[in-house]
Amino acid sequence: MLWLALHFPLLPLEALPLRQSPSALVNRGRVCCVDRAAAEAGVGSGQKLSTALGLAPALAVFERDAGREAAALASLACWAGRFTPTVSLAAPDALLLEIGACLRLFGGAEAIVAAVEAGCREQSYTLTWAAAPTPLGALWLARAGRAAVYPEANAMQAALASLPCVVPGWLADVVERLEAFGLRCLGDLRRQPAAGLRRRIGNAPLDDLLRAWGEIPHPQLAFVFPESFRLSIELPARVEHAEALAFAGQRLFSALAGWLQVRQLLVRACVLQLTHDDRSTSELPLRFAEPAADEARFARLLREHLGRLQLRAPVEALCLRAEEVTARPGASAGLFEQAVAGEGLALCLERLQARLGAGAVRVLAGQADHRPECATGWREPALDLPLSAASTVGQAPPRPLWLLPAPQALREERGRPFWQGPLSLQSRAERLESGWWDEGEAGAAGDLRRDYFVARNPHGQWAWVFRDREGWFLHGLFA
Amino acid sequence: MSAVPLPLAEVLARGDIWRGDALPGLPENAIASGHAELDAELPGGGWPRGNLSEILVDRCGQGEMGLLLPALASLSQAGGWLALIDPPWQPHAPAWAAAGVVPERLLVIRAGRDAAWCCEQLLASGGFAGVLAWPAVSIDARALRRLQVAVEGRPTLACLWRPTAVAGLPSPAPLRLVLAGEASGLTVHILKRRGRPAARPLHLSIPRPGRSSRALAGPSLSAVAARSTALAAVA
Repeated sequence: MLWLALHFPLLPLEALPLRQSPSALVNRGRVCCVDRAAAEAGVGSGQKLSTALGLAPALAVFERDAGREAAALASLACWAGRFTPTVSLAAPDALLLEIGACLRLFGGAEAIVAAVEAGCREQSYTLTWAAAPTPLGALWLARAGRAAVYPEANAMQAALASLPCVVPGWLADVVERLEAFGLRCLGDLRRQPAAGLRRRIGNAPLDDLLRAWGEIPHPQLAFVFPESFRLSIELPARVEHAEALAFAGQRLFSALAGWLQVRQLLVRACVLQLTHDDRSTSELPLRFAEPAADEARFARLLREHLGRLQLRAPVEALCLRAEEVTARPGASAGLFEQAVAGEGLALCLERLQARLGAGAVRVLAGQADHRPECATGWREPALDLPLSAASTVGQAPPRPLWLLPAPQALREERGRPFWQGPLSLQSRAERLESGWWDEGEAGAAGDLRRDYFVARNPHGQWAWVFRDREGWFLHGLFA
Repeated sequence: MSAVPLPLAEVLARGDIWRGDALPGLPENAIASGHAELDAELPGGGWPRGNLSEILVDRCGQGEMGLLLPALASLSQAGGWLALIDPPWQPHAPAWAAAGVVPERLLVIRAGRDAAWCCEQLLASGGFAGVLAWPAVSIDARALRRLQVAVEGRPTLACLWRPTAVAGLPSPAPLRLVLAGEASGLTVHILKRRGRPAARPLHLSIPRPGRSSRALAGPSLSAVAARSTALAAVA
């Protein structure tokens, strides 16, 4: 077992994306968490709010909210699902990842750590970490900022021995008593006889010590990745420009990508719900041309959509939910890397749909209807669409490639229809008589009784015209 | 600098090198057009992939799509995607299916002001077998150059439909054809191609609907038939 502990020291503050700097979190009138800019101005934990504001007048102050922190930690746990399926929450501000089983997959602990650090940087979370054979040992080392991998118990125990005796979670009087004994570091503590220590500082701290050292087992409660994905994020201020939502949205999509990875799923459609400052909501649906699980692709598509979005009102919160998920088919990667020319069809389709709107990008779908207006159906393009069976047109009468949006009335002179000159009919009449079933329905083509002809005008254009009770109409072109 | 000089034959075989007295052969890049007379005049023996082709025509319905349909059908049946950007009319699915194009693989895009951007995206993606665009008249040489750069080296048949009025304007497209309809078919004048210039226009016969195909004759509407003598003209 090798546990990678990820400690997010500024999580209470960083759970609020898009906050301005300097900023600080306040609990019962006292500062409890500050960002780097505030710390540089002299603001520190434990100060009164009035003191902090005196030191940094521009300080943005937020109330501490345990629920928000828990949500941020859960979202980070989802995100971490891309590395290992064994993730544990170490509330309030740390995660434990069992990476011993997936070292080979990623090419060593260093590679995993590098990927974790890059991911946290992208989501702008401050991170301290350590990897060690016991979960508690890794956590204590991470909290102390010992960013290193300790693959062996000996190395870990040596590192733990040098840590000070102040362990978060231990009661204040335990820490005080240890100080009174003159014990400075955990190594000193570990060298004392266990029975005597247990009598003096109680069971819990001593058990912690033994767990950290790996002398008694420390089972972890695994984080349960939710059955369906729905994650919200609260914004610290009202956001008025859609583009500014890209950053906060990216955190949600990072979590989605990790969740999809751990559950072996792909997403085809998801919805980003925006909560406005008047408590109303609006929804931004995102569809993928093919089921996807790629974070970079999510981010690109999100940016395209947000670039076009006009916000109805300022936004206070975001919520992402996966609408359509499918199982990920077992696919084997190519043995040799193949040069890919261009970004490919799927990404291109998504980009076009994002920019032009879904209705502007469609594929044809044949429909079994004799009425020309109804014979062409439209669908959203999808790469995994089943193809229609080969058409058995064969001896069917000719049909034009192009159709007018609506039949255009033609004037008639000396018994011949006119379209940029007199039309000469090239075929015999083809009677179309169909559609009694939707007669009178709004938007339907209705009952048609028409005689269609192929016709040619003096410019050499081949047209499809028809004649009904109202006269001659142009309906299509043979191109 | 370059220590090993390339053999002359190899240099001449490149797609962007051509000699004035011969048509360059690019067999792997061309798609047979389905019209033997046209194939004989096109460099590589067919419609080029990875290059812009301009087709200049003033009126729709003269058989201009018939020129491309055999190539589009073979691309579509091989599983390729086709895209129509801002076509002047609505595609009629049964006719495209009858011509051999798979409807579910035919993308129709209404791009409007974004037409040039959209065209560039499609060409550069490399995911399409054929892209047919009807750009606005105002598209300029710079935009065309961008499109040519986007399609270069891609396995895409790229075709722009433009009015004959732009025949005199410069264009970066390596192949430009002017079409004119006539009673029995289509006249194709090759305005520009790689290799020696084309001497005379081609006359192609395009299959047309009408007399040759059997139309279903139904009973005529008596009210209309009484008013019109059009049927007499047919018979």
